[in-house]
Amino acid sequence: MEVSDNSKDEEEKSEKQSKDSKRKAKENVSDDGVLRPVKLSKKELYKAPTVEELNQLKEAETLFHCSILKMQMEELLKEVALSEHRKNLVDTFVQQVTDYLQCVPESEVVEMDDISWLVGVEVPLFLVPPTAKGKFHMEPPASVDLVGSYPLGTCIKPKVFVDLARYPRKRALYLAGLARHLSFAEFVGSLRYSCLHGNRLRPVLLLKPPGKDSSKVTLRIHVIPPPDFLKPSRFHPQKNNIRTEWFTGVAKEQQESSEPPTPHYNSTVLGDHLPLSHLQFLSAISAQCPAFGEGVALFKVWLRQRELDQGAGCFCGFHASMLMAYLLSTHKVGKTMNPYQLLRNALHFLASTDLTENGITLCKNPDSKAPSVPEFHAAFSVVFVDPSGHLNLLADMTAFTYKQIQHEASLSLKFWDDPTVDGFQALLMTPKSILRTYDQVFKLVDMVKLQSSCKKLLLLNELMDRSGNYVLTALPFILSLLQRGLGERIHLLVHSLPQDTEWLVGSAPPKHKDQPPLTIGLLLNLEHAFCVLERGPPADNPKAAEFRQLWGFRSELRRFQDGGITEAVLWSGNSNCQRRFIPMMIITHLLKLHADIPESCITFVGGQLDMVIRVGEKDQTTGEEESLEVVQSYDDLSKKLWQLDGLPLSITAVQGAHQALRYTQVFPPVPVKLDYWFFDKKKGGLGVVPKESKPCPYYITPIKVIVHMEGSGKWPSEPKAIRRVKAAFHICLKELLGKQHNFKCHATPNYVDVWKDGLVFRIQVAYHREPLLLRERLTPEGMLIYRDNAEAQALELETLHKPFLTSTLHGLQQQNGSFGVVCRLAKRWLASQFLLEDIREEAADLLVASLFLHPAPFTPPSSPQVGFLRFLHLLSTFDWKNNPLIVNLNGKLTAAEHTDIKNDFVASRESLPAMFIVTPNDKKVSVWTKEAPSVQMLQRAVMLAAESLRVLETELNSGEQQDMRVVFRPPLEAYDVLIHLSPKQVPLFPKAVDRATYTFNRGTSEGKALVSGGALPVIDYDPVRLYLSELREAFGDLALFFYDPYGGTVIAVLWKPAAFEPKPFKASLMNARRVEVNGDVVTTVPNVEAILQDFRIIGEGLVKSLELRTEKWVV
Amino acid sequence: MNMAPSEDQHACVIPGGFTVLSLRFSEDDAHAALHQLCVKEHRVRSESNTNRPLDRTLFVLNVPPYCSESVMTDVFGRFGPVQSVELNEKPGACESSDSDASKYFTAKRRQCFRAAYVVFRDPSGVTAAKRHPLNVPLVVSTADGPVKTGIRSECVCVCDDGDEDYDDDDDDDDVVCEEVEQQQEDEEGWVKVTKGSRGVKARPHSETANERTLQKEKKKKERKELLNFYTWQHRNTQKQHIAELRKKFEEDKQRIAVLRAQRKFRPY
Repeated sequence: MEVSDNSKDEEEKSEKQSKDSKRKAKENVSDDGVLRPVKLSKKELYKAPTVEELNQLKEAETLFHCSILKMQMEELLKEVALSEHRKNLVDTFVQQVTDYLQCVPESEVVEMDDISWLVGVEVPLFLVPPTAKGKFHMEPPASVDLVGSYPLGTCIKPKVFVDLARYPRKRALYLAGLARHLSFAEFVGSLRYSCLHGNRLRPVLLLKPPGKDSSKVTLRIHVIPPPDFLKPSRFHPQKNNIRTEWFTGVAKEQQESSEPPTPHYNSTVLGDHLPLSHLQFLSAISAQCPAFGEGVALFKVWLRQRELDQGAGCFCGFHASMLMAYLLSTHKVGKTMNPYQLLRNALHFLASTDLTENGITLCKNPDSKAPSVPEFHAAFSVVFVDPSGHLNLLADMTAFTYKQIQHEASLSLKFWDDPTVDGFQALLMTPKSILRTYDQVFKLVDMVKLQSSCKKLLLLNELMDRSGNYVLTALPFILSLLQRGLGERIHLLVHSLPQDTEWLVGSAPPKHKDQPPLTIGLLLNLEHAFCVLERGPPADNPKAAEFRQLWGFRSELRRFQDGGITEAVLWSGNSNCQRRFIPMMIITHLLKLHADIPESCITFVGGQLDMVIRVGEKDQTTGEEESLEVVQSYDDLSKKLWQLDGLPLSITAVQGAHQALRYTQVFPPVPVKLDYWFFDKKKGGLGVVPKESKPCPYYITPIKVIVHMEGSGKWPSEPKAIRRVKAAFHICLKELLGKQHNFKCHATPNYVDVWKDGLVFRIQVAYHREPLLLRERLTPEGMLIYRDNAEAQALELETLHKPFLTSTLHGLQQQNGSFGVVCRLAKRWLASQFLLEDIREEAADLLVASLFLHPAPFTPPSSPQVGFLRFLHLLSTFDWKNNPLIVNLNGKLTAAEHTDIKNDFVASRESLPAMFIVTPNDKKVSVWTKEAPSVQMLQRAVMLAAESLRVLETELNSGEQQDMRVVFRPPLEAYDVLIHLSPKQVPLFPKAVDRATYTFNRGTSEGKALVSGGALPVIDYDPVRLYLSELREAFGDLALFFYDPYGGTVIAVLWKPAAFEPKPFKASLMNARRVEVNGDVVTTVPNVEAILQDFRIIGEGLVKSLELRTEKWVV
Repeated sequence: MNMAPSEDQHACVIPGGFTVLSLRFSEDDAHAALHQLCVKEHRVRSESNTNRPLDRTLFVLNVPPYCSESVMTDVFGRFGPVQSVELNEKPGACESSDSDASKYFTAKRRQCFRAAYVVFRDPSGVTAAKRHPLNVPLVVSTADGPVKTGIRSECVCVCDDGDEDYDDDDDDDDVVCEEVEQQQEDEEGWVKVTKGSRGVKARPHSETANERTLQKEKKKKERKELLNFYTWQHRNTQKQHIAELRKKFEEDKQRIAVLRAQRKFRPY
């Protein structure tokens, strides 16, 4: 028997740790890594082109979308290719190993049961059953060959006779023998066992050189027999090669012909026979096509980013090469194509060909004994036959994995054809982990339970075929069960590939049950995903029995309003938040019913985050219902405004301008009923005011509504006069609303508050020409010019940009049901990390909107947790320095406009805000990020997002139920002073991340809110916010103040270092400072003690204590 | 200017002529930290503001936000009767009050440290203040005149705002009505058409109008021009195309270089 040694270098993996990669001279690049506009002289631009240059430009223009993609590909290929230095390293190491293997000493012939000669080394296989007949001895290897993607390998030949069924055991013994031999060699750093693609029957030996090179190279030694050792026809997928008697140890009276076929075992053994011939085949093909290697390399990068290239049933680099070879041999790709074209064509082929239905074969003229493609289909779910015609290369792959590949391929093609998407970045550079890709993720933690499900599902034959690996045996059956149960609720069901484990040669192989948890991901179809009702066939339909069998006791006969009496399953769920758990209920129910997997084995990832945005105390809701209620109340108000009788001018538009009206207010306003004894009466008898002795009353958010009045010649043209007319309109609205609809209102010069349905709407009248009039100036020559100013901008922001954004995002919510909840989760996080004042509400909404509008390489998120993870990823990885974030609302921007925006951005980067967000209505200014965040705050946001993402993903991946609120607790170490507030005076205290067990009465009572009437409540009164604004006004140039607006009880203060340097005395620079006289020189420094005392004085009654964290301020 | 520090009276005069006074919030807390007020007689070469008579005005720097005009009157009352107090965000000329008659249309004042101009009835008040020793602090909130800060002051604020606005509704109405009513119909149904204040529209030239005409001209010219008619035109467009491609190529090269420098081509 021949045993070959396949040494393979894991190129990509080892490259990662390399420190020696080329650091090219940074011509043209500024040191800070910022793009500058390119300046070319006229002469350079218009010189006569050479033919070569013309060709190059032409190729870039036609073959790729643009030249940058070509260059990106080239850079990527350089990055993953092996350097010369590395190649030398590998070559020497392989040579050493080969030489050493050549001199394996011949050993005595021993019984197979006797493993005492393997001192210090364990056999990498379960010895079940413990006894086996046969003899074994070692001989030195005879030849060294190259296989694998790094063409090197060794072949060795011990003369051993093996019974077929015991072949894997002999193979394992031989490998153990080699391991023992190698453990004496000094050039070997570490020796570990692993297995090929999670197949325990194909153990391999991993060799690493010692010292610092250990992370760079890994040699994988496989043991395989010679090509002519066994007849391939013996391993026809319908033949049996394992006797049930031998496997179970129970003698059975059975004919050999009735033994079940063992297709997977057969392909395992066959797979061991063929590497050399496959290598020859591939090298022959790749010689025809110069770009073959690079095309496959790109393909492998693509696969790896999708976690498809490792583990049991993977589509690894070898399969990628084989597929490319198939495409070449069937002329689906040309021999002169470039790597990018090869990749595109391969993806196109995968997307359009269903290998689960129509398998493909590389075999040109199959011999008579080779099985046919239909025979392969009968035995395996995915079929791709190798050149010999006997082996199915994708034997281990589940249909679900192939569907996933197909989905990914078609998705990738879609993004590549979209000129506005940076396809390279999205498709080759962005990792798609299961957690960040799929809407809902489940984990099967206790793998040992799958053993009993194999029993329950009657999978003995399959278990034997998989030689006892119950995880792989049960997996396809469990998945198709879930697919049946979830049906049209999901677009895609995927599972993680069980990974190859590694273990030291001195220890026993890990048990099947010690495998890491199996992850199952769902891509939801939001239209049906959270339906409470699963309606089955009518009771008399033959399919009803099937339905009842699937759902068991949950299925019951129900009569529906349309008169039909059908089988149905009803799931519970009153709120969106509860309904999100329906897929989990289905999965738990089905697995328990059909596969004996108890509930405790299944963990649902996500849902743990819901608690930080929970609204109701009694009902478990995460605010979707409340937001809807607000919007409905607003619609009603809007209707009433339109119908108002007696306004001097008619209304042209009623627009919402508040985040609650686009479903993105973190805690949407909830209708309240007031307890009037809690308050003092106001003098006029109109409203109430808080009593001094009581806690701060319930915070009532005013919901901003903009009402545009029609244009008329009667509008004055003086800004001051316009303000008075607007005030008059406010008074007018107040009176009309009071008279015609009995609403209690309160008019001020800038707005009128309406108390309706237990909510407060703040209506502001707008006149469309006002911003224009504010900009008017008259030059001395009498010419009318328009100059921008802050006042006009602020007015435009309120009356133009905000309403537009609100209506657009309201539309987005209608298309993507989870937009609002993702936004609210993201903003809750920003607020808790003290960032919401810098990255303001609207900017955060746009960031989240971009996840939905430009999801590449993902699909739009359909659950809060995946959306939140992607938000953190976006915030932490986006290159804010060199790119504008383009949010193409309503798809209004064309590809040409995209380019223009990017060019403008590069040309004037210096003068633009640190975070630059472009929308179709705002291409040049980025109105929402103009003031903040500063570069430092953005830097901090990026850092916090990256860290939160890391912590969150580790916790979610751990498969245990842990406290996810940890990422919502801000680090307080860096701050100089902490001002602790008294919870009694913090109106949003009940909304804090860590909710307190005690509450204060804040003047609200149970029961339904009044539709209209009742005295006006205290509106928009948040003492903490007032305190904060006073602090900022008084000490803004000395310190920064941070606060979580949603129930935080701490204000964090950071001194500005620049303000603490002694400054010469100046009348304009004396605020909150004290003087120090030194001879004739007078300097001033901040009067820190007095300032700290002022913190207390200004916050009298609100501040509980001051905590000084650092002594930095001592000057 | 009196430069000599008058040690005997313990007044702390710093170079520049300012006397440093200390300020304490309340009497109860004897060990509390003190703010330092810098005072000097108001002296500007060309003072046109009649509200600040040169001999009787004291210029005060670093007035904490909780000291309103009335509090300042009380605090500086110990040096002599105070006629008026003016608080400004920045020292210097009188802040241009918006000359908006109604108080409802003025912006809210910021709660920051300010500069004050305290006008005494008598010039002796200024001298007394300048001689005040540093180690005897002035007190803001006394038993007789307590100053409310924090939650309590805010409660009062909420209360006040509401009342005034409500009472004042009618006034606002009048202002508007006057303006709007000018052009209302009279009893016989005639409308008196006035030019009103809409002089803007009558003005012949504005910047936008100028631009519009320029653009019209340009368009006209473009329409008349023949494109790709002569061979040299052909050649030029081709040249232009290549130049554009080249420029793009250079830009992309730079982009790649930046990304490479940031090691952005590591897929994982």
